[in-house]
Amino acid sequence: MKYFLLFLCVALAVRAAEPVDVLVQGAENKEVAEIVAALKEPKKLEIGVFSFWTGRIGPHRVAVSLTGQALINCTVSTLIGIEEFTPKLIVNQGTSGAQVPYLGLHDIIVGRRALDYGNFITPVRGAGQGSAPLAWTPVPQRLRLPANGALVAFPDGFHGDAAAMAVALRTRNPMGRVFPGVIGSAHEVNLEMDRVRWSARTFGMDVEEMESGHVAALAHAYGIRYIAFRVVSDAPYDGVPFYAQAARATGIFTVNFLENLAPLTTKS
Amino acid sequence: MVRLLALLLLLFAPLRASTDVLLAAADDATLQPLIARLANPHTETRASWTFWLGTLGGKSVVLTRTEGDPLNAVAAATLAIRRYAPKLVVSYGSARAHDPALQPGDAIVSEVFAAFDGMVSPVTSLDGGAHPLKWERLPHAPIQGKEVEKYVLTFPADATALAAAKKLSGPRGAVIPGTLGSANQVNREADRIAWIRATWGTSCEDGESAHLAGAAQLLGVPIIGLRIIEGTPEQAAALALKFMEASR
Repeated sequence: MKYFLLFLCVALAVRAAEPVDVLVQGAENKEVAEIVAALKEPKKLEIGVFSFWTGRIGPHRVAVSLTGQALINCTVSTLIGIEEFTPKLIVNQGTSGAQVPYLGLHDIIVGRRALDYGNFITPVRGAGQGSAPLAWTPVPQRLRLPANGALVAFPDGFHGDAAAMAVALRTRNPMGRVFPGVIGSAHEVNLEMDRVRWSARTFGMDVEEMESGHVAALAHAYGIRYIAFRVVSDAPYDGVPFYAQAARATGIFTVNFLENLAPLTTKS
Repeated sequence: MVRLLALLLLLFAPLRASTDVLLAAADDATLQPLIARLANPHTETRASWTFWLGTLGGKSVVLTRTEGDPLNAVAAATLAIRRYAPKLVVSYGSARAHDPALQPGDAIVSEVFAAFDGMVSPVTSLDGGAHPLKWERLPHAPIQGKEVEKYVLTFPADATALAAAKKLSGPRGAVIPGTLGSANQVNREADRIAWIRATWGTSCEDGESAHLAGAAQLLGVPIIGLRIIEGTPEQAAALALKFMEASR
């Protein structure tokens, strides 16, 4: 029995971290700063090269994750976050570039859906015939369904959790307006207005950034509730260049959201 | 007693013995020739991803399917590395040439990997068009720890594995060292292919190899990539098998 207890202690020591209700993600330090600062009983964990901070906000046990930018960082860190903390809800939030003229600096889009828009097949063109991105054919993200193993394409991306959206749309943004919308993710910064307009028309995108659509796919694969918030940090229709401090708005908005959000169940 | 054993298995799931090699390929056709040769095979799944485990030529291996795109590749590799702790990742499959000197059937081994999907376009007003040959590259920036990112143009291949792979031959002769590029793109515009090669130094493109290399770097596992230009699944699998035999 003594050896069994010792065995049990060792096993428990190497188990994953304590479960949380919400995994909250930001790609950059500025995007997680307000949320980390709001944690009650904060504790920092480093898992490999990734940093997490756990604590409480409102009624929720929260893990805040600094994912790093773009697909490679955010996919690895999301899987570590899911496997370590088994969250009931993932909130991916941060900055973005407006793709439509109605949005201004500090406005926040709550993701009705999030998609990867950076994948394509080009037509065949010979040398000297140039390159025409508005003629490229988009390729939707595919994901294998755990239930039956079928490989399914998601041309519209992945829908935000309905209950979380309802709370988010009643949450105060102290620096701008809040709209439901479509978030597109790719490792791209598009400042050619014709391509910006093409993305809005082709995918329905309101903003572009580098992580939400990828994390949405991973949450879908695990059957975890998901929502994304993106503050406008650059507004090319208004000639506003990237303003990193806009991240404060979505950080504060996310804290307000968590305080408004009722205790979670697994299903929306 | 059964409950006790089940509890212990659950508790010790993260403590599995390490695996020698993780082999990652895009589809069943490319994986199957290796899966068919596994001794003591068994399959495990997690969420959307599948892992085939066994031994191959005396080495413990796990194979996974990347679906040929960065997200599935990085996800499958991350789970495999966390669950099975491989000592080396091998990405293998087909690729499309960027280097005009390459011919179908040529075998390429990774000196480095370039994830060439990142771009920044210049500020251009409405009706000013889109000009991808004027875009600037945007490298990936893997987290280094301590909340610091570092932009890198390429991810390295493992030197020992590279030395072993250079001794192999493919369908058209000796393996050619080069830069494996990846993005979830099929580029068939000659001018864009030339721009990607000039900008990123790519020898060829596929859907996932450089993104796998980025994930492997984040998780501290060495990687090697093997590609056949316009190769068949059987040719790609044969090259991977040769590599496994050579590195016994």
